Amino acid sequence: MSQIACQCGKKLATIHVTEIINGEKKEIHLCEDCAKKKQLILPASSSLLNLGELLSGLAQAAGESENDELARTVCPNCGMTFADFRSSGRFGCPNDYEAFRRGVDPLLERIHGTTEHRGRRPAAPAGAPQDSRLAQLRSELRKAVADEAYERAARIRDQIYALKKGRANATD
Amino acid sequence: MRLTDLAHQSGEWLRGVGADSDIVISTRIRLARNVAGYPFVARLKPADQADLSQRLCESIVDDAVVPECHYFDLKVASDIERRLLVERHLISKEHEEAQGDRGVAIRLNEAVSIMVNEEDHLRIQVLHSGFELAETWRATNEVDTGLARRVPYAFSERLGYLTACPTNVGTGMRASVMLHLPALELAKQIEKVFHAVAKINLIVRGLYGEGTQASGNLYQISNQISLGKTEEEILQEIQGIIPEIVENERRARHFLLERNRQQIEDRVWRAYGMLCHARIISSGETIALLSHLRLGVHLGILSELDIAAVNQLFVRTLPAHLQVLEGRELDPQVRDVARAAYIRKCLAQGRHTGDQ
Repeated sequence: MSQIACQCGKKLATIHVTEIINGEKKEIHLCEDCAKKKQLILPASSSLLNLGELLSGLAQAAGESENDELARTVCPNCGMTFADFRSSGRFGCPNDYEAFRRGVDPLLERIHGTTEHRGRRPAAPAGAPQDSRLAQLRSELRKAVADEAYERAARIRDQIYALKKGRANATD
Repeated sequence: MRLTDLAHQSGEWLRGVGADSDIVISTRIRLARNVAGYPFVARLKPADQADLSQRLCESIVDDAVVPECHYFDLKVASDIERRLLVERHLISKEHEEAQGDRGVAIRLNEAVSIMVNEEDHLRIQVLHSGFELAETWRATNEVDTGLARRVPYAFSERLGYLTACPTNVGTGMRASVMLHLPALELAKQIEKVFHAVAKINLIVRGLYGEGTQASGNLYQISNQISLGKTEEEILQEIQGIIPEIVENERRARHFLLERNRQQIEDRVWRAYGMLCHARIISSGETIALLSHLRLGVHLGILSELDIAAVNQLFVRTLPAHLQVLEGRELDPQVRDVARAAYIRKCLAQGRHTGDQ
């Protein structure tokens, strides 16, 4: 690319924008600083999916009093409040997803379009007896049913079935 | 092994091999994982963070998990060493700039790197040359499974792997393919690619990740959604669109050669001339010229140059690499002179005598 000076006349243009407005084509050449000023490039810290905007959008969507109550919710595990999370965009501990579920689920809906994991699950720890895995799955199944999350429940049921079957085969 | 030794070796993803490697530079998959029973990194007490770093280092550095692996403590690494790791795509900028107890485990061939106590306790990354999603995923899975047997992950049956940021929850997976698209950019067709990619919920980013601008016509395409789909489904979406983009870039290259052969040849040879003879050169200008050089090699215009040597220059001319290779700290102005000299030397040797 040939070297063109920025509109500011101070630096070399590194950003080249072609604007077409009402069929009229216009080329603009800018250095990084000017492009940042015009908000054509994002500062390094910002994510394309703007979590901050999503979070403040959520705060506005909820009613004033309900919002206050939710904001004061504290995670008993790490001591973080939902308000803390809303301002930082980062959770304090894994338990926050459940502790702030009422506020987090709508956010996950917006980001991912769902609140149901369908991917892999961790491999069993080395030497862990399968009985404890079975017990864990059973308690997860109870929880899923209580949540009325029947798709998840069906998946867990299939896993329990597969595990039992695998064990039966192994002892044959 | 010392960190600075990395500057002298060729990283796996710089080899310029693998499927469609004329256009696809590399394939990368990263998984975000956290250890159950600990708060996320931002809320860890310093003593706990030190313990956890130690514990994770011991779990990772074992031939059964990651063979030929070295752990580097970033708390004691120098500024240049940390910068070097960013330039090689082995750690993130955030990890470079953070303060607390943290590190990175790197497999000798640089195909695997695991950041410890970045935003999440573990960020497993596998990086391969060329368009190799299936193989990269297989290798990622292997490391993840090995680690899961030793470290209890924070996992919920409903939401999957729990991460510090809600944009990574679920699979914790981000798969990225880095593409070199000079012809589409020359033909001003690159916007069309962005639109096609955005339509299926994938995102396009510059060379150094989130928020960075594209330089050297290098673009990364990755998934944005991590929850609600299986890992295979996410990979399938990327697997589906990349061949289309590659095909478009190939067509644009042929079109340019057919219609504008002289202009393209001129551009490539000018870039080569500048790189062979410049006395002062910035890293930005270097990347732009190298991009033309790379195109020239793949179009057969510059058949005397070895592609691995050109790929190497993309990384070795970056500030930290240059300083490590020169063996001293250099001011930006001095650096530009040293860079020009280094490029001249490499290109003189690089006529089919690149590394290895």
